[in-house]
Amino acid sequence: MNELKGNMTHPDSEVLAEFRAGLIAGRHGARISAHLAACERCADLCDQLAELSTLLAAVPAPAMPEAVTRRLDGVLAAEAAQRGQRDQRDDAERAVGDSSRHRAPGRRPRRQWDFRLVTLRVLAPAAAVAVLAAGGYGLSRIGASPTASQASRSSASSAATAAALPQARAALPSGSAGSRPEAVPAHNSLQVVTSQTNYLRITLRQQLASEMKRYARRAAGPLSPMSAPVKGCVLRVTKDTHPVTDRLIETARFQGQPAIVIVAASGRHDVAWVTTSTCSASSDHVLATTTLPGTYAP
Amino acid sequence: MPSTVPISGGEWPSDTELLRRHVAGDSDAFGELFRRHRDRLWAVALRTVCDPEEAADALQDAMISAFRRAADFRGDSAVTTWLHRIVVNASLDRLRRRAVRPVASAGEEQALEALLAHDHDPARAADIRLDIDAALRILPPPQRAALVLVDMLGYSVDDAAAILDTSPGTVKSRCARARARLLPYVAHLRGNRSAGERVSPAQGGDA
Repeated sequence: MNELKGNMTHPDSEVLAEFRAGLIAGRHGARISAHLAACERCADLCDQLAELSTLLAAVPAPAMPEAVTRRLDGVLAAEAAQRGQRDQRDDAERAVGDSSRHRAPGRRPRRQWDFRLVTLRVLAPAAAVAVLAAGGYGLSRIGASPTASQASRSSASSAATAAALPQARAALPSGSAGSRPEAVPAHNSLQVVTSQTNYLRITLRQQLASEMKRYARRAAGPLSPMSAPVKGCVLRVTKDTHPVTDRLIETARFQGQPAIVIVAASGRHDVAWVTTSTCSASSDHVLATTTLPGTYAP
Repeated sequence: MPSTVPISGGEWPSDTELLRRHVAGDSDAFGELFRRHRDRLWAVALRTVCDPEEAADALQDAMISAFRRAADFRGDSAVTTWLHRIVVNASLDRLRRRAVRPVASAGEEQALEALLAHDHDPARAADIRLDIDAALRILPPPQRAALVLVDMLGYSVDDAAAILDTSPGTVKSRCARARARLLPYVAHLRGNRSAGERVSPAQGGDA
């Protein structure tokens, strides 16, 4: 063994780690260096520090789980849809000059986007709630609707009905997802549902999930052909969402006021918009928007 | 991975080009950029917050923020560095908010208990990973973020400094202190290896 030339108090592991990182130079560094040459214990500690870095590098980086991927894809699609609407609105405002003055206070053109994005963000945590509340969708209905009894019954039979819609699958034990029955209307034959549902901002996601299930069973309310203004509204609102397949167009209420609800499939998630009932091809006023990924399983 | 609409142009656009298209109004460009880097970003978020749900929330915060603030990107760093910085900041924000809640310490206690109960086989890669995951939790978040970037994900000290918006010296120092702090908790992992044997990256490839 070496002589006592390197003799000094054993540096603690933090000092050794800093020395190894090149953070200790000069005379202090030289003393540590000399000590390491002489002290087996500290040299071993240094080896351990080197091994630790190797060990850490060997831990495989986890791939993003599929559920998280779907959730974030949905969030980004909703962001893109929001931005598209904002741009569209800006164009419209430029076209009609100072129409922004006729808007409600606090909703200046550039701020509208932010306002609605905040809404979206506030809604986002509800995704987890919607999933955890599986089987209890019927309970979240607020409005007294003629189909309320069907809605509560749907709790019991939710396995069968929810399987009709891919976005509801995550709410169910795996294996219950079956083939999609033909009850889901095709894009070109889409009709407007008139329902008594009163959507609330805070429960929008859950209510929509519930409504989609009833709609799949044609139990959401009477159907009627889409009027020209509603058709224009749908095209306008979904214009910047690609690819898009309309799933549900509904006249209902939102926070007690007449509203149009549009749910469209885009990729593997659904995007939903709630607009005022005056929405048409030439103007829209989106009151709320959300995505229905139905995929966030913790 | 099904990408919704092919990015036009035929060739593979650079990150900077995708971000530029996004700012110009291309509704698919940001999604493409995210798909390109999501696994790295996920790893950063997950390792920094040590909890999959919190990591998903942090990443969501970060991506919404990046989506909206893309026009602020000035090109003084790589797009990936910028994205990583937003993810790290969102993760540390999450941790700060969580630290206010008393629940936080429960996770650390569990982590320490898990470390003390070595009834598993430290030679197995999966068990090593569990141990490392648990040990990482005991680190203060800024040290953990630095160590995760440099030692676990292989970023250079300079890149990590750019991501963490600090100096290379600070990154080195945080990493050094983190390694010293971790050492007692992972010492058993090397106990059953013969002298001189190093863990090769291939041994960790079970996921």
